[in-house]
Amino acid sequence: MIATRFTELRKRRGLMIALIVVNIGIPTLFLTIRLLAHAFDPKSYGPAGGYSIYTGLVAGVMYVFGFIVAATLGCTAGSVDLSEGMFRHLVVTGRSRLALYLARIPAGLAIVVPLVAIGFTIVCAVCVFAAPTKLSYDGVNVPVGLSRAGLENWAEAHANEVICNFGLRVGPSTPKADLNSVLDNVRCGNGVQFGPPSVSGGAKPTEAEIKGVAAQIARTDYADYASQFLYPSNSLMIKSGLWLELEALIGLVVGLGLASLLGQRTISVILMIVLEVILTPIFSRTRIPHLLNLQRAVVGVATAHLTPGGLPVLGGGGGGPGGGNGNPLLIPESTTVAVCVIIAWLVVWTALGAWRMMTRDA
Amino acid sequence: MSATALADASHRRAAESQWAVETHGLTKRFGENVAVDGVELLVPRGCAFGYLGPNGAGKTTLIRVLLGLTHADAGTTSLLGYLVPKHRDVALARVGAIVDEPRFHGHLTGKENLQILAAAREPESRDRIGPSLERVGLAGRADDKVSKYSMGMRQRLGVAACLIGDPQLLILDEPMNGLDPAGMAEIRDMILALVAEGRTVVLSSHLLDEVERTCDAVAIVDRGKIIRQGPISELLAGASLMLQVECSEPDRARALIEGANIAARIEVGQLGLGISLPGGTPRDVAAEINRILVTEGIAVYRLQEVQASLEAWFLQVTSRLGAP
Repeated sequence: MIATRFTELRKRRGLMIALIVVNIGIPTLFLTIRLLAHAFDPKSYGPAGGYSIYTGLVAGVMYVFGFIVAATLGCTAGSVDLSEGMFRHLVVTGRSRLALYLARIPAGLAIVVPLVAIGFTIVCAVCVFAAPTKLSYDGVNVPVGLSRAGLENWAEAHANEVICNFGLRVGPSTPKADLNSVLDNVRCGNGVQFGPPSVSGGAKPTEAEIKGVAAQIARTDYADYASQFLYPSNSLMIKSGLWLELEALIGLVVGLGLASLLGQRTISVILMIVLEVILTPIFSRTRIPHLLNLQRAVVGVATAHLTPGGLPVLGGGGGGPGGGNGNPLLIPESTTVAVCVIIAWLVVWTALGAWRMMTRDA
Repeated sequence: MSATALADASHRRAAESQWAVETHGLTKRFGENVAVDGVELLVPRGCAFGYLGPNGAGKTTLIRVLLGLTHADAGTTSLLGYLVPKHRDVALARVGAIVDEPRFHGHLTGKENLQILAAAREPESRDRIGPSLERVGLAGRADDKVSKYSMGMRQRLGVAACLIGDPQLLILDEPMNGLDPAGMAEIRDMILALVAEGRTVVLSSHLLDEVERTCDAVAIVDRGKIIRQGPISELLAGASLMLQVECSEPDRARALIEGANIAARIEVGQLGLGISLPGGTPRDVAAEINRILVTEGIAVYRLQEVQASLEAWFLQVTSRLGAP
């Protein structure tokens, strides 16, 4: 029964084309344009792939589009038997209505999971194989994968570049007086003095002092540097892929349940898009007094908390090693609660859809 | 008693039941409207059974209740001896049905639509797809998309969908809809062939002539209630006796008959007198009418008993033309 349900969905040509275009076509087109632009004019256009492109595409495009694609398929699977008159034929077979409903979940997943996987694989492949060969950190080409000591050594060897270009991420232990005396007396590449001349009124710093400051800057920047990669790591790609598939599963199951409940595809799809594109970003960022627990119960907020470390969270911003839970912009929610919310959504919408399917007049 | 023993008892009871469909006090309401009103329906096994009624009489609603497509508000139903909805899955496994206009997934071929339905039935159903399409004359178009099918072809596909379950009972709601005369003849022959194989066919139709030609027994439903049911021959035997009399002085003849204390309804038309006698009236009454007219000097050119048809009887008993 699952195989025939799969065939029924797969043969909806218009739907399948739309799903493929959204989930595979858009990222592929974007990457193709970048590949061509870089091939024809590498000085003006950077490499097509790389870490930043990967995070932008995965967290910004595939996450949202994957959900919408899966939700559309779920809504279709949940409503077409009814709208096309097949529901009655199926009920008359005597087969349990619950079994008829549940068969749609694996059938839908058999379409959505490969679709998401193909789109994601293309993104991964381009981002890895067309990644930049050097890391541009604050505009300076820096070797990739240096240890803290390695970065400090490299900074000492490129002291002026580091002092002039690296962002000064001053920590509590940074001896500001020493820094200022050096910074005020270093001339950058364009001949302009870094700081106001001799504010501290000190003598011109020695070579060793300049190197020391460069190493100090490298030390304070190391955490940020360490989160910069030429291309995504295998671990990040695996986690991101699973995260996207989880999002697709949620979209399919919730869409199926909602459409079965309403018996209507168009309204269900619109509601799902509103949930994903409007409500979830608002609920995940805005702390509404007295409604925090309700906000935590929104499935999109829960999945945002499960964003793999290294990806920006829903709606942009943040990122870094902490992933969703490390982002201070998100409303606070523990991983356990997020997982429980997701499971609850899957179970409740499946139950609602199945209940309606079992009680609906055919 | 164990579940197996209960199931065995249920199967035994079903096998012993002489009725393919049996309902008692079946009622279905939509708000204030009673669509099915205490229906007592008995459909014998192995026959073609017509289910007749004017539009809005509740025919399709009853079929939907029988098949568990909607729930009943009161009463009991058995299909092939199994109580529905309690043993709905077992009962429906051997039931095929078309309810209303048969609709399918238009983007799939006829064969693919049947594959979806076969997947919901027992594994053997898949092997019956080809023969079923062959039987309804759709084998040559099996790989065409249903969106390209005519209404008649969809009706046939609906019948094929019934047949893949090897049904003992077929419930067909207006199966002749959209068919040309040749198609209607094919469906009629197919129904007769199915009955000859020992299956039961319940045929809901407004085409009285088709029902009369196809069915052995009928039930007449009006305003949700069954008002008559039984073998057609028995029902027609109880219909009123119609006489057509062509004579020289129709108006005087009418007055003479009315004055002779004969319980009859008489109308004067272009063809002469139309005399309607109550069901069960002895045929001697026709001879008595003839004697009266001849005795009074009226020339009788023709006196003919008009054969009662199902249509005439249907119109008599349904409320659309007054009380039966």
